[in-house]
Amino acid sequence: MKKAPLVAIPLVLFSLLVIFLFKGLFSDPRELDSQVQDKTLPAFSLPDLMQPDVTYTPDDLKGKVTILNVWGVWCVTCAVEMPYLTQLKNEQNVHIVGLYFDQDLDPDFGTKTLSRVQQEVTDMLSRYGNPYAYNIFDVYRDTSLDLGVTGAPEHFVIDAEGIIRMHHIGDINERVWNSKVGPLYKKLVAEASGNDVKERKVDVEAVMSSNINAQEGE
Amino acid sequence: MLATDVMHCRNVLHNSITAIEGNKKSAVNKARFKTVVLNILVLMVILSSFPANAAEDKFLFDTPAQRESFLTLTAELRCPMCQNQNIADSDAMIAHDMRRKVYALLKQGKTEQEIIDFMKSRYGNFVHYQPPVTAATLWLWAGPVLFIFIALLVVVRRKSVAPPEDMAAKLAKADEMLEREKE
Repeated sequence: MKKAPLVAIPLVLFSLLVIFLFKGLFSDPRELDSQVQDKTLPAFSLPDLMQPDVTYTPDDLKGKVTILNVWGVWCVTCAVEMPYLTQLKNEQNVHIVGLYFDQDLDPDFGTKTLSRVQQEVTDMLSRYGNPYAYNIFDVYRDTSLDLGVTGAPEHFVIDAEGIIRMHHIGDINERVWNSKVGPLYKKLVAEASGNDVKERKVDVEAVMSSNINAQEGE
Repeated sequence: MLATDVMHCRNVLHNSITAIEGNKKSAVNKARFKTVVLNILVLMVILSSFPANAAEDKFLFDTPAQRESFLTLTAELRCPMCQNQNIADSDAMIAHDMRRKVYALLKQGKTEQEIIDFMKSRYGNFVHYQPPVTAATLWLWAGPVLFIFIALLVVVRRKSVAPPEDMAAKLAKADEMLEREKE
């Protein structure tokens, strides 16, 4: 009887081990903690994929809730999710911006011309639908590296202030949209429009009070 | 070095081709055949050594120390895509890009620690093969020490407990019984 607690020790240790290993069965090693969560976008100045004269900076993504989609024509999963993203754009007016990077383009050797990349992109978008408001061309893949991108497709949900609120690795399909990305996106859109209204109200109040002050001054 | 290799290759190739042409004209010529085979072998050896040369030539370093840093860093940093490879081994695009970045940062005069921090700020602690000591990882170090300590305690306590006295009496009795049975 005295030895009962002592006997229980291996049993407890064993059950802890079982729980630990059982949890390991369902853990996804690819799921990494994103380092950019709740941070502003890293600084960049990149050309538009189709019009290289146009340059984008993080400021261009402010003012509207955006889903930044990291993709490339070489990425099979990107092609799979493209029709659904297009559907989201058409039916729910989701603002999707592409961050395009090319796999075959070795920045040190430059094996591909821009016009060929553009041709490939046009072909792919005409086949699967074009969900993008525009595409930012990450020529040297530096911005992807700054964002902690490991491959494609990856998605960043960016709020109206330009802060990254979610980093989703993998494709967006109906299930992912309804359970993970969609609710946050809708919440952020509601917040953004709420802020707009508030700001307007504040503005009105400020104007009114200044008017009152002015009247008092008179 | 690469240029001379190419020149050599071309010469060897040229020799092989003329040898083959010669073969067609004349009857079976054993000696020539041998040189052709030899030339092709040499060519294969040279060609197979090209990728290694190319990889090294891609990164040129100012000092041997810088090169050393590059080699340690690419061995210590982990590829986020092919998760059980370091970025020196991995052929994933992200590993290519990370090597490029490590090289660029070294060229800028960044220290090894600064580069590790740079990568950690983008890919998390995961990206470095040396985990930092945090509340969650402390057990990696404390666990074995704790285990040995507890085991020692148990062993020491076991030894210090003397067998109870009646046990000795019982043993004596058992011995007696054995003796009796023998008779």
